[in-house]
Amino acid sequence: MTTAPAPQAPVLEAHGLVKAYGERQAVIHADLSLHRGRITCLLGPSGCGKSTLLRMIAGLEVPDSGEIEAQGRRLSWPHGGVPPENRGIGLVFQDYALFPHMTALQNVAFGLGDLPRAHRRTRAQAMLDTVQLGARGGAWPNALSGGEQQRVALARALARRPEILLLDEPFSGLDAHLKGEVRLSLTEALRAAGATVLVVTHDAREALLMADDLVLMHAGRIIQAGAPRACYLDPVSPDAARLLGEVNLLPAQVTAGMAQTAYGAVAAADLPTGPAVVMVRPEGLIRADRGVLAQVSQVRFGGGYHEVQLRVNGVRAHMHVAGEAPAEGQDLAIQIDPELARAFPADPS
Amino acid sequence: MAAVVAILPLGGILAAALTGETAAIPARDIARYGATSAVLAVMVALATAVLGSLAAWLVVMHRFPGRDVFAWALALPLAAPAFAVAYAYADLFDVAGDLRIWLRAVAGFDLPFEMRTIPGAAFILTCAFYPYVYLAMRAAFVNQSAQALEAARALGCTPRQAFLRVAIPLARPALAAGVALAVMETLADYGAVKFLSVQTLTTGVVRAWFVFGSLTSAAQFALPLLGAAALLLWIERWGRGGRGYESATARWRPLPVTELKGAAAMAAHLFCLSLITVSLLLPVGWLAVAFLGVTPDWPRLIQAAGNSLFLATAGAGVTVALATALALGAVRVPNLARLASLGYATPGAVMAIGLLVPAALVWRLAPGAAQGFGAGLIMLIYAYAARLMAAALEPIDAGLSKVTPSMVQAARSLGKGPVGAAWRVQLPMARGALLTAGLVVFIDILKELPATLILRPFNFDTLAVIADNYAQDERLANAGWPALLVVLIALPAVIWLTRKIAVSRPGAAP
Repeated sequence: MTTAPAPQAPVLEAHGLVKAYGERQAVIHADLSLHRGRITCLLGPSGCGKSTLLRMIAGLEVPDSGEIEAQGRRLSWPHGGVPPENRGIGLVFQDYALFPHMTALQNVAFGLGDLPRAHRRTRAQAMLDTVQLGARGGAWPNALSGGEQQRVALARALARRPEILLLDEPFSGLDAHLKGEVRLSLTEALRAAGATVLVVTHDAREALLMADDLVLMHAGRIIQAGAPRACYLDPVSPDAARLLGEVNLLPAQVTAGMAQTAYGAVAAADLPTGPAVVMVRPEGLIRADRGVLAQVSQVRFGGGYHEVQLRVNGVRAHMHVAGEAPAEGQDLAIQIDPELARAFPADPS
Repeated sequence: MAAVVAILPLGGILAAALTGETAAIPARDIARYGATSAVLAVMVALATAVLGSLAAWLVVMHRFPGRDVFAWALALPLAAPAFAVAYAYADLFDVAGDLRIWLRAVAGFDLPFEMRTIPGAAFILTCAFYPYVYLAMRAAFVNQSAQALEAARALGCTPRQAFLRVAIPLARPALAAGVALAVMETLADYGAVKFLSVQTLTTGVVRAWFVFGSLTSAAQFALPLLGAAALLLWIERWGRGGRGYESATARWRPLPVTELKGAAAMAAHLFCLSLITVSLLLPVGWLAVAFLGVTPDWPRLIQAAGNSLFLATAGAGVTVALATALALGAVRVPNLARLASLGYATPGAVMAIGLLVPAALVWRLAPGAAQGFGAGLIMLIYAYAARLMAAALEPIDAGLSKVTPSMVQAARSLGKGPVGAAWRVQLPMARGALLTAGLVVFIDILKELPATLILRPFNFDTLAVIADNYAQDERLANAGWPALLVVLIALPAVIWLTRKIAVSRPGAAP
């Protein structure tokens, strides 16, 4: 698989997008940029406004304020915009939205109206070939599996050679064991097309594995943007940390630039003295001979590891233990891995 | 725009009834006609509810010889206009008719009933309109998932208790909807009740217009009808809401079917067979047998048949086009469709009168304009469209609801404008629904009488109109031919529709 090109000037930029439905603020001052040939994942829990943001970029929703610009051309402005059909932005829907009255090939050819008829067919066939569905062109959508439908939808969107491609929850309709496979083939097809891609998803694992650039969204706001690894290791807030996977949030007390928790201390150079909260990933709690003694309250087998519930002075946490499982009721010596822990100011609440 | 089509005549009624000079007909008459209408409506409601539900329950929940044919054949009486049934039965059971003379001579007794009474009219209208209840109840039972019944069983109900306590209450909204439709048609009927000399509000509307030439009186007769229409519409909508909830069940399995054997199977078979016989086969057969001897006035008949076909086709085309525009636009303005459907509940006679009011305004403002043959036809088709808009809207809406919003948006993101998306995605997907809507309107226009009577251009006869003319002149033998022709033209369309309904399943095309 080819790698992503280095970032250049953004292909699409959104500034200060706001969208409210009545009282409910769906998107609050969102800034977003997409870079040529790179895959950007927009990650957030359901209802955080990420789909609304995607639909504003597609032209299916009109922002209340803010602007969207693509290569010097204004696409959206407050209460107005270029209609979706004239944006040159492709969109793959969560439910794929294949037209049930057309075959797979006709679906792919749908958007090629400006090409001569014979040419249209050839191009649609070629697109189906690139998603490895060349032989299924005559099939009706309801005869295709979920993964095949998604590939047809992808081929249909890519057939028009869009400048930018948007994918709405591409993994949501798939079985867990299919996700990895679909992600790989999807990434490959997108790289091959050289498309600039925005993927909206609530699946942290898939987002981390797929993204060149990661954008985290929470409660209508974009809270962090950057490389997946940086976001994972250095979250800006407990909310951002939680979006990317399981976390332990431990109450802490800061003295002299160190946040002290029941499980050990973490550097907190820029926090004032007083209460704080420390975020530790489950894999950031490690066994160490000189660590704090923690009581094992529950052990569950989780596949490649055991999930172990711990308790120290009534403070609960959980960790992943590879290899042999500890016994329930046993005491384990535990330490915090400073790479996987961060201290944050305590919630004002 | 399309919604205005339906609403304009309703406004006309209100304006005429409230502002006109004193009535030519005393209020006491209106009350008397209203009472007749009400009694008739109650009788028809009870009879259609029982017969239609029983038939649907038998056909959906049981297996017996002939069940698959009955499933759609039970709806066939929709092809027979109520007036045709009335002619046949009135003739068959006429006091001076062959049957009674023969009975008196041979058996020495007389049949203890008379067709030209309110119960007689209720009987005729029940024959003509029970399929509305049957179809609604059938759909309700077919759409019910076995899951609810199984849950009831798991909670300790016997099959019978489960049916009574779960299946029937779940179908109650459909019953209300079906009965509301039957009552709407009852109130709107003109041909049958007029022929049987039963004075209802609808005959009152037509009489006020033709005999007294008073638009105000006609509108005053129409006003209670309009109120009843709104009430029925509300009942019908309420029923529909319940049905929508039902189809939301995720996992659907058909209701368990009971195999009927021996006497029970025989009884079920006989019940369905006699229902069809009494409502369709006997009256239509009698019309055919009794009147085949009469040589019809062929040129007039053919001319009228041509007119009927033309009106039905043109009316269906215009109505479907307007309804489609309304359905596509209604996504943005949901209340429009609801207003337009008031037209469906409005009797044709009322619609026609309502239309005369704005038309009179146009004539006054621009004498000479909007007159003559063409204008009359346009008014007539307009009346059909206003009255039948909702009937067309319903299947079209159902058809369009298969098109998810994301499909339309996909078409937009693939370079189609709103019109292009509708043309390439929405309309092709709703093709079957458009045809269904067209046929529903086609059949209804073929059978329509009062609005046609009031609005048709001079000397422009349809089959229903000449049947009515002959019947009013007591030349019943001649009336049989056009009535029969209406049935013959409508029958293939009805068969096509009902077969389609019979095979439909949740999630399948309507």
